[in-house]
Amino acid sequence: MATTPTEVSVARGLLDREDLLQLLDRAVTKRVTVISAPPGSGKTSLLRAWADRPTHLRCVAFVSVDRDQQNAQRFWCAVLDAIRSPAGSIDPETQPAATAALDDDQVVDRVLSGLAEQVQPAVLVIDDLHELRSADALAQLAHVLASLPSSARVVLSSRRDPPIRLHQLRLADEVTEIRAADLRFTERETRELLVESAITLSDAGAAALHQRTEGWAAGLRLAVISLSGHPDPERFVAEFSGGDRAVGEYLLAEMLEHQPSEVQRMLLRTSLVDRMNGELADLLAGRSGSEQMLLELEEANAFVVSLDPQRTWFRYHQLLADFLRLELRRTLADEVSDLHRRAARWFADHGDVVEAVRHTLAAGDWPDAARLVAEHSFRWVLDGQSGTIDAVLQAFPEGASADHPDLALAHAASELNHGRLEEAAAQLALAESHVPSAPPARRRRLTVAIASLRLALARRSGQFSEVIEQVNLLEASIADESSEPLAMGSELRAVALLNLGIVETWSRRFDDAERHLSEGAALAQAIGRPYLEVACRAHQVFPTTLVSLATARARGRQAVALAERYGLGDRPILAPALGAVAFWAIWMGAFDEGESALRRAWEVAEPQIDPAAAVLLHMVTGQLHAARGRHQAALEAFAAGAQAQSLLTGVHALATPVVGWLAATQARLRMPDEARETLIGFPAEPGRMGLSFIYNARAVICMVEGDPAGALDVLRDVPDVTPPTGPAFTLVETHLLAGLAHLHLGDRVAAAAAAEAALVAAEPDRLIFPFAMTQAAELLDALPRHETAHGALLADIVDVLRGESAPSTERERGSQREELSPSELRVLRYLPTNLTRPEIARELFVSINTVNTHIRNIYSKLGARDRSSAVQHARELRLVSTARS
Amino acid sequence: MATPPGLYAIRIRGRLGATALSAFPSMVSELKGGETVLTGLLEDRSALFGVVAQIEALGLELLELRQIRPRSTSRQSGDDRPSQGV
Repeated sequence: MATTPTEVSVARGLLDREDLLQLLDRAVTKRVTVISAPPGSGKTSLLRAWADRPTHLRCVAFVSVDRDQQNAQRFWCAVLDAIRSPAGSIDPETQPAATAALDDDQVVDRVLSGLAEQVQPAVLVIDDLHELRSADALAQLAHVLASLPSSARVVLSSRRDPPIRLHQLRLADEVTEIRAADLRFTERETRELLVESAITLSDAGAAALHQRTEGWAAGLRLAVISLSGHPDPERFVAEFSGGDRAVGEYLLAEMLEHQPSEVQRMLLRTSLVDRMNGELADLLAGRSGSEQMLLELEEANAFVVSLDPQRTWFRYHQLLADFLRLELRRTLADEVSDLHRRAARWFADHGDVVEAVRHTLAAGDWPDAARLVAEHSFRWVLDGQSGTIDAVLQAFPEGASADHPDLALAHAASELNHGRLEEAAAQLALAESHVPSAPPARRRRLTVAIASLRLALARRSGQFSEVIEQVNLLEASIADESSEPLAMGSELRAVALLNLGIVETWSRRFDDAERHLSEGAALAQAIGRPYLEVACRAHQVFPTTLVSLATARARGRQAVALAERYGLGDRPILAPALGAVAFWAIWMGAFDEGESALRRAWEVAEPQIDPAAAVLLHMVTGQLHAARGRHQAALEAFAAGAQAQSLLTGVHALATPVVGWLAATQARLRMPDEARETLIGFPAEPGRMGLSFIYNARAVICMVEGDPAGALDVLRDVPDVTPPTGPAFTLVETHLLAGLAHLHLGDRVAAAAAAEAALVAAEPDRLIFPFAMTQAAELLDALPRHETAHGALLADIVDVLRGESAPSTERERGSQREELSPSELRVLRYLPTNLTRPEIARELFVSINTVNTHIRNIYSKLGARDRSSAVQHARELRLVSTARS
Repeated sequence: MATPPGLYAIRIRGRLGATALSAFPSMVSELKGGETVLTGLLEDRSALFGVVAQIEALGLELLELRQIRPRSTSRQSGDDRPSQGV
């Protein structure tokens, strides 16, 4: 954190205000410090000086809120960056990391755990909080303040009292306030400042200066600038204190007037950008040498601040910037629009489209701004930068999209990214209504863009025929050579292939999906679109007639590695790859590997936004529990999978196994009636392999009802559907169930034959999961070891069964009490309460990380996936009281 | 919330120069001793707070802000809007 004083160059000549630094040291003994004072009171200087003091007592994360920040996501990204990265400065050229939209809890959790993770007590400083215009962000900030880890501190600095209720913290005496009066220079400090700045002034002069500025830091600093090198400092002070002009304006005007004319010119013309480097300043000033001027101004402490350690980016103190902007409009009014246009062009050329749009709008060039959005919004979608789209759209007045199809399209993309499908459809319809009136050249581009978004929309809701239709439409548009060639033809094609491949994957057209996703990934790689490439690869994780299960499993791992290489390892688009890695690991008996991949998959997944991927994750969760004999937890997961599938309009590839396993699990939990109900409620589906899951489930129901002969009858009807190549997913289970039925009927020979048949089917792909799921240990015992041709596999399976699950319900429950450690039990007691994790940590005097670890272990030991199911299981095990506390 | 337009008088410490005054194009300024009084018709509450924000941004000291009510004995029968406090 900003403990290294050299990181941000604090302007020289600044008085080291020891009293104030100590005041701040004392302030942060309380959890929250609020600095509330008008501009120019010296808030930022004080905070910077304090943050840069070398100390081992704390580490400081420093965030300055961007001017007029309306985007909660960007604000929190900046906060998280500050907490994570030790450099106390930001590089203005890098946009804040565009992460997928985080919901409230995730933001708060990440910030809190980020603060709790610091070795030294962490102090989060948020400067210029008055610039934060997002009600969401302020509400989330209030939540952060209420849940701070015990060692962490927050300092809020603002021009006015922040609109956050600090009532509770005040009652607990956990708030310190520092106000304008505390920040005022004393007369002694005024004298010291003059001495430090090598200004000789009589005692009377110094007193007059102090009195006239009332110790206002900005006023004194401005006066010092004018006094430095002034031929007659006493006269300056006399004139200043004798007059009755407003202090700030008088001193700002004085300072500007005493600059050389080329510096004045540069300052005025650069005032309309929030930050600049030498090149941009030269462009606006219409001359060279701006960087040197800016460096000199910074060294003179003239309200110019460099933003990076290399001192290549600068901004003006807001007081100066506001003054300069007024002066620019007053004296050079007719140049303002042109300056905005120049700035816009420069930002656009340098890839900062958000700023480019802002300045284009400021120049009054509405249609140009909308066109900029149109040109870029599609690429932002391609690169997964949903935050950027949101930020740009915010620059336009509300309702602007009604007039402009390009804006409606950008809105549609944004809504789509947030999973608001109906709103996205409405914006698309709005854009479409403009198509007939658009000029022909634009009409085609609009049509293509609308088709590509419609495609994404159809894919999200799992509408296969709609997807095909949109793909055809899109391909026709791309292939249309008669009009101007589309610059983004390749990208559109890659997007079409991706969406097509995804929808084919989830409707179990794996061969087609394989073809389209391979082509899409190769194209994305060729045109340098990593996000698209990862998205394609993340779905190429299922076996086909040409791709073995082992290869599919390896591909899942490769997709994850690729995403990590591109820095996309936390994107929701990775959920299918991680889910598949877990899926195949569990099929092949590597339950621990499956569990850790699954945990990561849930961390990145956005179940509400991508229900198709969620079906996979719920199913794999159910499998893991089933493999470990935890039927109740498995039941909940399979039921959640069935529920997620119902959100889709098309039938999901995994719908049949989910329903089949749900019914089988219900049967194993002695709920045969519910199991039959589940199967009846499920519409017959033409996929023949899918059907075997249903037959297997029926057989399990018969077995539970004490009718092994009935089970055998059902299983005899299972059509032999195992494809000539490819894994025999259901066949292994079918043989095992038949074997178990034979065993119950006392026919050990037939049972052994069935067990051998199961091994034969399992061998090529090492399908160990069905053995665990059907609790086949007893059956395998019936198979004389020397009679099997699959001894090695059998030995592995027996190891897995012995190592993993204790099939009987009694053992499952009895064995868990010992497994929870005393500290885990302590945490467990808080789970039925409504305390948040940070609050639990505070109650137990441990770090939030510790709590997180315990909770993870509790979930895994209880076979729970969330807090409420953990509590439920714990109550069943009588680990916590069943009464509400 | 729709607030009817109102006439406001804003008193600021110190005499404002041309630059600071340009921040309040819709107001008429009057320099009175060591103070500046800005008077003008403000469209609605947003306009009012916009002016206050400008005062804050320029580091000016706001001494008084009041709405000038039409005389209660107003004989302008056409004006049926009641005046409102801030």
